[in-house]
Amino acid sequence: MDATAGPAAIPASDATPLVYRHSVTTRVTHWLFAAAFVVLVMSGLQIFNASPNLDASDKSNPARRVLAIDGGTDSAGRPVGMVQFFGLHLTTTHLLGFTDDGQGGESARAFPGWITWPGYQDLASGRRWHLFFGWMMVLLGAAYFVAGIRRHDLEKIVLRPSDLPKLLPMQLYYLKLRKEPPEHGKYNPLQKVAYTTVLFVFTPLIVISGLALAPGMDAIASPLTAVLGGRQFARLWHFLAMIGLIGFVFVHMTLVLSTGVVNNIRSMFTGRYKLGPHEGTGQ
Amino acid sequence: MKRRLFVATSAAVVLTGCSNFTNGLNENATVRRVLSSAEGLNHALIGTHGMAKTYRDSDVDRQFRVNGFDTPSDSHYTSLVRAGFAGYKLVVDGAVDRPQVFTLAELHALSSYNEVTRHDCVEGWSAIGKWAGVPLGKLLALAQPAHGARYVIFHCFDRASDGTAYYESLDLVQAAHPQTVLALQLNDKPLDPDHGAPVRLRVPTQLGYKSAKWVYRLEIAAALPGKGGYWEDQGYEWYAGI
Repeated sequence: MDATAGPAAIPASDATPLVYRHSVTTRVTHWLFAAAFVVLVMSGLQIFNASPNLDASDKSNPARRVLAIDGGTDSAGRPVGMVQFFGLHLTTTHLLGFTDDGQGGESARAFPGWITWPGYQDLASGRRWHLFFGWMMVLLGAAYFVAGIRRHDLEKIVLRPSDLPKLLPMQLYYLKLRKEPPEHGKYNPLQKVAYTTVLFVFTPLIVISGLALAPGMDAIASPLTAVLGGRQFARLWHFLAMIGLIGFVFVHMTLVLSTGVVNNIRSMFTGRYKLGPHEGTGQ
Repeated sequence: MKRRLFVATSAAVVLTGCSNFTNGLNENATVRRVLSSAEGLNHALIGTHGMAKTYRDSDVDRQFRVNGFDTPSDSHYTSLVRAGFAGYKLVVDGAVDRPQVFTLAELHALSSYNEVTRHDCVEGWSAIGKWAGVPLGKLLALAQPAHGARYVIFHCFDRASDGTAYYESLDLVQAAHPQTVLALQLNDKPLDPDHGAPVRLRVPTQLGYKSAKWVYRLEIAAALPGKGGYWEDQGYEWYAGI
């Protein structure tokens, strides 16, 4: 397997041939990942709304509360939504705490109806969507990893020590403080940082912290819950991993749009991609 | 100003459309059936055999959170409370070879379980309590479930606001789990009415809604009525290990 060589440093012009960059498995799982992620975030916020606070503890403990989103009405009967983040208190009426009820009105709800699945408050349904799409994500993830290992794709995405000196030059290039990106393979060193974090930090964390919330799981594999600091702490980790993944999606979409949107999106449908300058196909 | 109104209106239309889309899919019967397939997978993979973590006495919540239905206020229950549950009887019947009736004193005599465990609510919160009582398996061994019996159905004193009686159920495998108990005490004191007096179920390996309060009858059966419980009939999973 030729991992390092590749048509690097070919100037990108219209004459540049397209390379076959993304396998069918990568492309299909990519779009299904995207759809499942939307459902999981929205149904997850539906579930969060049933008990809208996060404690850094095993059992619920207001003294260890990190986040609380509350809503109600004040003494004059006016709606109020509030967020407590550690010691910080914010009034967030209509945004968080007292929000869109998913049925055309407003009520005391942590996250608004337009961002929960379903829109109205319905924990049982939120759980059904979340647990089903959780399994779908696991199966997609398994297909992605197996295909990635077999096709030697995964090794090109993992950050290696040899990438470290290229991180700063790559960042300077993105900031337009440097003319040329450093020589790199299929993925540039910053992409590798992002993908490696998603695949090997956020993904295991969100799976383990999700399982750790289940009392049946705690009973057959209690170290899972214990290592995260207990059940409520697992809920906090699960939420933080979600924030991390949402952050990744935003950065990802920004770069898709700003680094040749047609070429990028085409590659995720047809697999064909036009290599940029200093861009290769290996590690 | 016009532009602002346009932006606000478009945003409202898009956001309402979002809820209409998710609400509509959620109410589709076929979609619901497909989504429910995850429950069987969870039941098969996680199962009911693990042991819930136990805690120290110092970990308990002295003010254990009260949840679920309001404490029954009908004359039958309130007269039982006034009499210190002297007239309370737990019936074990249905598909059993030896139907049983237990007074509270008889249940206390059978009490052999005393553990500090965590109660995990489906809403997301958790509380820790010290529960003492009778392992359910012990009562079932006395009643001897008949051939073909598969479930224990728990009938309870409480009712929803529309009058629907609360009930729950477990299969005989979960019922025989050493931590599945009919609790008589919480934090070394007899259960108070708000926590399910005089007898409540405790299933620490599943979510809190399985731990029915105010139990007065165990019906052994070959099949489940409805979906197997009040909350199950509202759409929650029967297997609540996750």
